[in-house]
Amino acid sequence: MSDGPLIVQSDKTLLLEVDHPRAGECRKAIAPFAELERAPEHVHTYRVTPLALWNARAAGHDAEQVVDALIGFSRYPVPHALLVDVAETMARYGRLRLEKHPVHGLVLTSIDRAVLEEVLRSKKIQPLVGERHGADMVAVHPSERGNVKQTLLKLGWPAEDLAGYVDGEHHPIDLREDGWSLRPYQKEAADAFWHGGSGVVVLPCGAGKTIVGAAAMAHASATTLILVTNTVSAHQWKQELIKRTSLTEDEIGEYTGTKKEIRPVTIATYQVMTTRRQGTYRHLELFDARDWGLVVYDEVHLLPAPIFRMTADLQARRRIGLTATLVREDGREGDVFSLIGPKRYDAPWKEMENQGYIAPAECVEVRVTLGDDERLAYAMAESDERYRFCSTTPAKTRVTEALVRLHADEQVLVIGQYIDQLDELGEHLNAPVIKGETRVKERERLFQAFRDKEIRVLVVSKVANFSIDLPEAAVAIQVSGTFGSRQEEAQRLGRVLRPKADGGGARFYSVVSRDTVDQEFAAHRQRFLAEQGYAYHIIDADDVGEEDPAR
Amino acid sequence: MERMTGTDFSEWLRGRSDERLRALVAARPELVTPVPAHIDGLAARACSPSAIGRALDRLDRFSLAVLETLALRPGAAGRETLSSLLRRAVPGDRDDETLGRALDAALDVLTTRALVYGPGDALLPAPGVTDALEPPAALGPPAAEVFRHHSPERLDVLLRDIDPAGEGGSGGEQPDGGRPAGERLAALLADPATVARLVGEVSPQARAALDELVWGPSSGRLPNARREVDAASAHSPIEQLLARGLLGATGEETVALPREVALVLRDGRVHRDLSPGPPALEGPVRDQDLADRTAAGQAFTFVRTVEDLCEVWSVDPPGVLRAGGLAVRDLRRTAQLLDLPEWAAGLVVEVAHAAGLVAAGEGEWLPTGGYDGWRIKATEDRWAVLAVAWAAMERAPGLIGERDDRDRPLNALHPDLRRPGAAQMRARMLAVLESAPPGLAPTPESVLARLAWEQPRRRPALRDRLVRFALREAEHIGVTGLGVPATHGRAVARGDGTAAGLLAPLLPEPVDHVLLQADLTAVAPGPLTTDLGRRLALTADVESKGGATVYRFSEQSVRRALDAGHSADDLLAVLERHSATPVPQPLRYLVADVARRHGRIRVGTASAYIRCDDPALLDEVLADKRAHLLRLRRLAPTVLASKTSRAALVDSLRAMGYAPVAESLEGDVVVARADARRTEGQLAARVTASNAPDPEVIDAAVRAMRAGDSRRRPVEAPEGQVPRSPATATISALQEAIRQGSRVWIGYLDSQGHATSRILEPARMEGGYLTAYDETRATVHRFALHRITGIAEIGR
Repeated sequence: MSDGPLIVQSDKTLLLEVDHPRAGECRKAIAPFAELERAPEHVHTYRVTPLALWNARAAGHDAEQVVDALIGFSRYPVPHALLVDVAETMARYGRLRLEKHPVHGLVLTSIDRAVLEEVLRSKKIQPLVGERHGADMVAVHPSERGNVKQTLLKLGWPAEDLAGYVDGEHHPIDLREDGWSLRPYQKEAADAFWHGGSGVVVLPCGAGKTIVGAAAMAHASATTLILVTNTVSAHQWKQELIKRTSLTEDEIGEYTGTKKEIRPVTIATYQVMTTRRQGTYRHLELFDARDWGLVVYDEVHLLPAPIFRMTADLQARRRIGLTATLVREDGREGDVFSLIGPKRYDAPWKEMENQGYIAPAECVEVRVTLGDDERLAYAMAESDERYRFCSTTPAKTRVTEALVRLHADEQVLVIGQYIDQLDELGEHLNAPVIKGETRVKERERLFQAFRDKEIRVLVVSKVANFSIDLPEAAVAIQVSGTFGSRQEEAQRLGRVLRPKADGGGARFYSVVSRDTVDQEFAAHRQRFLAEQGYAYHIIDADDVGEEDPAR
Repeated sequence: MERMTGTDFSEWLRGRSDERLRALVAARPELVTPVPAHIDGLAARACSPSAIGRALDRLDRFSLAVLETLALRPGAAGRETLSSLLRRAVPGDRDDETLGRALDAALDVLTTRALVYGPGDALLPAPGVTDALEPPAALGPPAAEVFRHHSPERLDVLLRDIDPAGEGGSGGEQPDGGRPAGERLAALLADPATVARLVGEVSPQARAALDELVWGPSSGRLPNARREVDAASAHSPIEQLLARGLLGATGEETVALPREVALVLRDGRVHRDLSPGPPALEGPVRDQDLADRTAAGQAFTFVRTVEDLCEVWSVDPPGVLRAGGLAVRDLRRTAQLLDLPEWAAGLVVEVAHAAGLVAAGEGEWLPTGGYDGWRIKATEDRWAVLAVAWAAMERAPGLIGERDDRDRPLNALHPDLRRPGAAQMRARMLAVLESAPPGLAPTPESVLARLAWEQPRRRPALRDRLVRFALREAEHIGVTGLGVPATHGRAVARGDGTAAGLLAPLLPEPVDHVLLQADLTAVAPGPLTTDLGRRLALTADVESKGGATVYRFSEQSVRRALDAGHSADDLLAVLERHSATPVPQPLRYLVADVARRHGRIRVGTASAYIRCDDPALLDEVLADKRAHLLRLRRLAPTVLASKTSRAALVDSLRAMGYAPVAESLEGDVVVARADARRTEGQLAARVTASNAPDPEVIDAAVRAMRAGDSRRRPVEAPEGQVPRSPATATISALQEAIRQGSRVWIGYLDSQGHATSRILEPARMEGGYLTAYDETRATVHRFALHRITGIAEIGR
């Protein structure tokens, strides 16, 4: 009996025993075709999904390698059905190809006539393709390139896109590595993208995704359209690009709610792109405003659905997606695969943490108990009011104060959802509050002050969650938040994960009301964080020096 | 010629030793059902077309070719003659020794089965064999047959064209010693020189057409086949052939190549590309160990899947269709639950049924009591039960989802899936797999080719499809791995009961520890020991199964364990003892937190309650001695709970002199979960290794025939009636007689109800019948046990 580190489960999950001497070797072998799903301390769970297998195919791995890895590292016999399934799934990728034909233009070709016949019989494909040229080839209108890929993926026959890209309008962009240099993994990521043509780079928060974007732009040296989540993020991209590349302020335009600049490098927000008036997207022409050579999608996992539809028309342009996770709350991972491209680079958080690129974080859940009156009121509250009620209990304010006192000489972020609560906290902690209505200028001033350590405590609402850069936040305290979504956790953790000058560990507190729906959400959070491999503790409010009125 | 040797055949058969006769009966059991009265009867039966047909069906391609070669030769032939004829049919430089050995083996088989008889240097096909072989080796009918219906004038024309120099020509007259034209034609066509000359005369196209027909099929369609043509008027290539008798019209629209011509054109060979041995299995070669492990992995998965199926069906059984079987919808749902494609789910369901683990009961498909016994066995034993049941299944699960002749869907578990012969086919396929060299993954095509070689004449309906199904099933069950017959799979093929033992070391060994993690999961890196497995199943929910099991702790699961009477300390102690790693803090916290809230609210059962605003009155009731029987308990000053029903309580209180009023049951809900259900189900079909008759029966049959043959006078039954004896004594006396091989004297009521008296030599007893050699009738007979009125010993 072999004593490999891997156990293959019948639901196509792979359990990797991390303390096993061959674990590292095994991880390398299975990472290309299995998505890391959970990484708690002893046994990591990978999942083999069709998309993961196709990603592996796109990266040049074949079924033989996958089967060898499974058999070679598995502790127990691998069920044959699973191996067959792997081989069959992988064989589906690339049977169909999108290619550029010298005479017929964009064509869908097949090395397997039966497959082509099968997909062409589909009612969904018929309207997307044109004239048939021979038995193995059918014309595709260039504007349907994305739709065809999307539909083929849904039919289970993902097409390999070999039709190439337009170069776009040339524009010189160089990285200026003065006083900093690309980290090895950033270079690998940018190179992997460039060789793959289009695709997604997966890097944890704080690992410098913007720089990977900049490196990709330097590769392309062409006009670039960057799509980001919000205005603050747009500013930061601009700052970062000016700092890291040869681009000057005049060459970078912002296309946001307030400014509508179109320049060789244009940064637009998803929000403005998806604004509709009278049922039509008013800013669609931006995509055609210039002959873009590269499109950068920041935070691909948040890409809104209309952008997918627009992206379907951009298939001739190179696209790079940047994200911390391929998991989408809406389950549209397949659209990312077919429209942006396959995964081109992936680095495990833990490994980067060990290499010192991101700071280790400790997660602590602090449980407060509601007072008797509060419990009664909570029990009687309407179900849609319950979360708000329990997550804004005054007890949380007291605990937060105690935590801030505990970390008296560190930069502390307090994150919450409800404005009243945030205002109250700001008052108690004597700290500025950033919320939706705070003007961008003021926001940036406060962030800068926080960075400069002029302000020690900052209270922020949801708006601060995405794509901002707070390098010195060593402690984050979450008092309330939207229903434990996985992305949000990743974001929040990203806040405190930034490498710190002193190398100290970051702390992430979440304050939770015991025996309420708040605690249920916390359970999701606990699971997510523990699965990501973070140390997680649960303590009671009295343990932080707060007197619990309930006791 | 052969027909005249019917008595020769009888005599030859009579001359065989008893041992050879027993071998004959064992190989052709249909010859002794019922047992013939004497050897002549046996010979007659052995020559009957149906019996010969069945015997031919069992021959492999080479033996059949030997028989065909012999049958095509006029008169008897020796081994050497056959050998030289066959050698020409074997392509390549095959060494004579191989061919000789194969020929000897084939001749042994053929004589043992009485398909060929006679001394070694003058072998003849048994009477009837030549007819049964028709047409042999894909040859056309003999010339005499082909030209039988040609008019004399037409034959004359033909003869003139074939043999212009010959004396032929004048119709009606027979210058050649009075031989009819047909015979002369046949003789001419059997002459190689003539045929060569005729073939030389026709056009190349005509020769090509001839080549097509030589190795069969030997006939073709041709409009207006009976056209009048002669060598001079022939235009088309076919007409050139017709004009020379190289083709003959056998019907209005069919022509055939006369056998004699074909044999000449085959250049003295009867067969083309004859192989003395079976075709080799082909396919990729893999590591046998790896294949074993893979098959074992699949076997483990299959057993678990069957268990999952039974567990699901015990709480949520699907209905039995009115026509029997499982609805398409239910199968689809089951497939989803088991995460399998539908064909595989169909297989799981069918095998579970064949193994007697599920059956129809009360209109639903339910696990049987047998399932409970199966479940507690070791994994390898459970697998062996399933694999054996699969091998013996007379059903074709691969057909599920297809449509029958009347375009109705074939449902899983439906009687229509029965395919007689399926089990035999599977057994033959397994035997082929068993013979594969280690590591070879035979391709389906080579398995089919081997099966076709072994029984060329038998092509049961769907054979090829059934074999392909069976190969796929073998892989799914874990009989093969990576296409290679696994060591334990070969044991299933042999049916020697060693499968479980061979499988066991390949399966994951039970472990007694788990890995606890901060995300509240426990990973058992292998199957758990029973005790720990039960504890964990109670405390945590299973999240993923396979080689390992992943459990997840949640508030609900911990509460379930607490409800089952474990304390928080208990739980943590068990986890600490069995965890290879420290218990994570969040898990401790979870257990403590659930325990903190556990049991704060208490719930009990009471059948009825007594409510009264005046506590003093309740004091009075409680104090009443007669109230003891009511088992009252005070829950609050103004409330009493009782274990008796409301009606009884009201009656009792009335009897005690109070005036109670019954309250309605508003809001009172009784939730009862249906228990896991079981059905009786019929016993799984008993697996018999083969359907060959018992040696004792064969023995008895041969003795009977010999007895009948030697005209041995039936033994006189002793005078008087056999004393009546009780049934139990009869049976035990018969068993004793079978064991000792002794004779007994019985009284027997024949079918007319007449009391008769017999001397028997009992051979076998089963299913309420006794098979015995009846000395009073000199025959083997089956006796209904209930008609045996008495039994007595008889001196030898």
